[in-house]
Amino acid sequence: MRGIVFDIIEFAVHDGPGLRTTVFLKGCPLRCSWCHNPEGLHPAPQILTSPAGERLAGRVWEASELAALLNRQGDLLRPNGGGVTFSGGEPLAQYEFLLAVLARLDHLDVVLDTSGYALPEVYAEVVSRCALIYQDLKLVDPAAHVRWTGADNAWILANIAQLPRLGVPFVLRVPLVPTVTDTPLNLRAIARLADGLDGLLRVDLLPYHRAAGGKYRACGMDFVPDYPEDAPLNLDLSPFDDLGVPVRLAGESYDAPL
Amino acid sequence: MPLSERLSAMREAVRAGAHHHYRHDDTPDIAAEAAARGLTWAQRAALRTVRMCAGEPPIIEPDQRIVFTRTQRRVPPLYTPDDWAAFRATLDGDPSGEINNICADWGAVLDQGLLARRAQALATRARLAADPAAVEFLEAAVATIDSVLDLAARYAAEARRLGRNDLAAALDEAPANRPTSFHAALQALRLLQAVVWLSGHMHVGLGRLDQYLWPYLAADLAAGRLDWPGAEELLAEFFISLNRDSDLYPGVQVGDNGQSVMLGGVDRAGREAVNPLTWAALRVAGAVAMIDPKINLRVTPDTDHELLREASRLTRLGLGFPQYANDDQVIPGLVAFGYDWEDARDYTVAACWEFIIPGRGMEIVNVGAVSFPAAADAAIRAGLAAGDAGFQSILDRCEAEIRAQVHALIEPERRLILPPAPYFSVLMDGPLATGRDLSAGLKYNNFGLHGAGCAAGADALQAIHELVYDQRTLAPGDLLAALDADFEGYESLRTRLRETVTKVGNNDDDADAQLVWLFERFAAACAAEGDNGRGGRIRPGTGTAMFYVWLARGRAGLREPVVGATADGRHVGDLFGANLAPTPGVTVRGPLSTLQTFAKIPYDQIVNGGPVTLELADNVFRGDEALDKVALLVRAFAQVGCQQMQINTVNLATLEDAQRHPEQHRHLIVRVWGWSGYFVELDPVYQEHVMSRHRHGL
Repeated sequence: MRGIVFDIIEFAVHDGPGLRTTVFLKGCPLRCSWCHNPEGLHPAPQILTSPAGERLAGRVWEASELAALLNRQGDLLRPNGGGVTFSGGEPLAQYEFLLAVLARLDHLDVVLDTSGYALPEVYAEVVSRCALIYQDLKLVDPAAHVRWTGADNAWILANIAQLPRLGVPFVLRVPLVPTVTDTPLNLRAIARLADGLDGLLRVDLLPYHRAAGGKYRACGMDFVPDYPEDAPLNLDLSPFDDLGVPVRLAGESYDAPL
Repeated sequence: MPLSERLSAMREAVRAGAHHHYRHDDTPDIAAEAAARGLTWAQRAALRTVRMCAGEPPIIEPDQRIVFTRTQRRVPPLYTPDDWAAFRATLDGDPSGEINNICADWGAVLDQGLLARRAQALATRARLAADPAAVEFLEAAVATIDSVLDLAARYAAEARRLGRNDLAAALDEAPANRPTSFHAALQALRLLQAVVWLSGHMHVGLGRLDQYLWPYLAADLAAGRLDWPGAEELLAEFFISLNRDSDLYPGVQVGDNGQSVMLGGVDRAGREAVNPLTWAALRVAGAVAMIDPKINLRVTPDTDHELLREASRLTRLGLGFPQYANDDQVIPGLVAFGYDWEDARDYTVAACWEFIIPGRGMEIVNVGAVSFPAAADAAIRAGLAAGDAGFQSILDRCEAEIRAQVHALIEPERRLILPPAPYFSVLMDGPLATGRDLSAGLKYNNFGLHGAGCAAGADALQAIHELVYDQRTLAPGDLLAALDADFEGYESLRTRLRETVTKVGNNDDDADAQLVWLFERFAAACAAEGDNGRGGRIRPGTGTAMFYVWLARGRAGLREPVVGATADGRHVGDLFGANLAPTPGVTVRGPLSTLQTFAKIPYDQIVNGGPVTLELADNVFRGDEALDKVALLVRAFAQVGCQQMQINTVNLATLEDAQRHPEQHRHLIVRVWGWSGYFVELDPVYQEHVMSRHRHGL
């Protein structure tokens, strides 16, 4: 079983507990206009060009080969509360490859960092093999979700709804994009949705970072934010506090690992 | 802890050089006076310490609690050039520069006081009255003790005149006798160390400060004479005071002065030795945030997470320290090399990273550097030109090159004569009892050799192994032509060498096997040298010092071979990695793989030190968990079995801005090779190297 990985980052400090290596799987069904990993969007390998030269983003891996690489770090990851995080792109877009890798990992805790855009049975199968889920939630309103990410959120909401039954702890991660996701309406909707979900550890709010557009040129793409990048963010946590939903404003951690 | 207003102002004043107006270029003419009086070498050295001390007027600023300000900018020579030439001709050997880069037995000197050391010297003199050399040395040593006591007495008198009775009392009691307070101990240490510099020595480290100072602080705390804020205030002032004269301390660059401190670890009996002062020293170093002292921390896989977290705060500040040493590797390594367990447990570092024993080592830890890239390159060029049939032939040639380099560096050193150092001898364990100057040797008298450019050397061997002998997809003639042309016209071959061959730093067993092989052969070559002529042997190490530049670009007077383009795809003149690091520009997965690679080095044979050098982008430190993560990385370093590590944290944009606007970045500190310096004060070549380490990928 083969898959395409566009990056492997060791000592990934924002992708889960402990000492951790993050694998970025290439390809994503969403097109969020604030995406900071444009090289993760297209499923095929592509060449990135910058003043520093060219770099191939995306390499084909055999599942066994990738698992072996990760297992070689197990002696450092396991005793330090860590493991492996699968991110993307959207890791579930290559779920067969992902499952093949997971089956070969040697007692490594896995964090899945996902948009949740996957068939509910696929989602359940992968999630049940993970220790912790970083579940993105951008917008609750279906029309707005289509408008800003190019995809419907029915699967995403259904998958969040089935998380308590799957018994795997999870964090809801909300990218705060000015005037798009940080509206009081959206934050209240997210807080209501999160309220009372078994297994929810907390909601992480990830403030928008201006570096989001940094890699587009290298990918041969234009970064055209259709929202006011400089608008002050709404950082009002009261919708969560009011319902007693644990919430955390993450440092500036929604930028990609460099 | 934030610095108090008083100390913040003091720090700013020191950085601005406000005290420089006290300085002058007058120095006592030691050579003339000594010639007139017909003094010997040792007597001249003592005379210099005496006259330099006498030439320092007491300077006590109103806000200072730890005093000494050096006024004499230069340290005079002991001989005129003509007299030296004549004297040197009488020597049966090659005299070196002044003794440097060793660590005094600060704890014992403070504990006994100079008067007790003086009494010991006089007793030995009486016992060895028939031994003129011993008498001469001991009288010289006593003269230097008296000069330090006189300096302290003049400072005390000035303090009294100014109504600073607390300071006067501290100076009255120490360094003459055992200090009865933390303040007096720090003040005594300041004077004792400053006089080592005044005597012409360099790279004067402070060793295991938390160990030998803790009893004084503990007694003050127990008696209620001092509280923790007061203790930290004193320690902070002491740390600031170490920066007052660092610009006068010669090194390759400003900052390379060897004022290192070692914290934590175990005591001589092997008991846990982290104490409250260990923690305080880390806190205070963070608050002071200057280049001195350079903090080292001894760790094991079991070190308290909170201590590692505290240390990581310094890393987050971008200070480039602490540098970490792994007791589980260092101590057994030293024992395997022949050190006693008790001494091995008491190790500290010399200026940068070389493991030495306070008070007991007269080791010369940086005799020179073996260039692994040059050894590999010579073997590759000769072997390919001769049509060697197998890779083993290349390795055989490389081993011969390493042996030849080691021998060429060591052989002349067997004739080494160290200059007498009567004052430094007072501070060591042994000379006052034996009547023999430090320069004659102590318990440990080894030489150290750096092993430089290991990643580039191993990568070059691996390229030949893979492409020429294994895959047989690269014709030897093509590679030789490409090397001679510095890859001009061979860009695709260079890219292949650079991009497709496995490289050191990725925990790749094939490339790492070359790395391990290089160090095993290096160790064997050092062992083959046997005695170094001083009752010691040759310690191989993993450091580079400034050789990561010099071995690539050359330098006047360099004994080591300079290499051109190399088979790892490196251009002529491209710098090597500093210490243990992947070659700059090589793609590596990250710090975990890098640690796993360098953990494979046989540290039971490679004991001269030299850290894995990690570069972390400063965005690592966003968020609350960052300190925990860095602490875990340090633990992983110990768990995986590496020996030593330093972590640099830099933002490339900040460095670029500092080049354009140095005046706005006067306080920006970076780790260079084994020490931290102010970025704006570095030569451009070193600035460039620091920046290139952060300039990878997109």
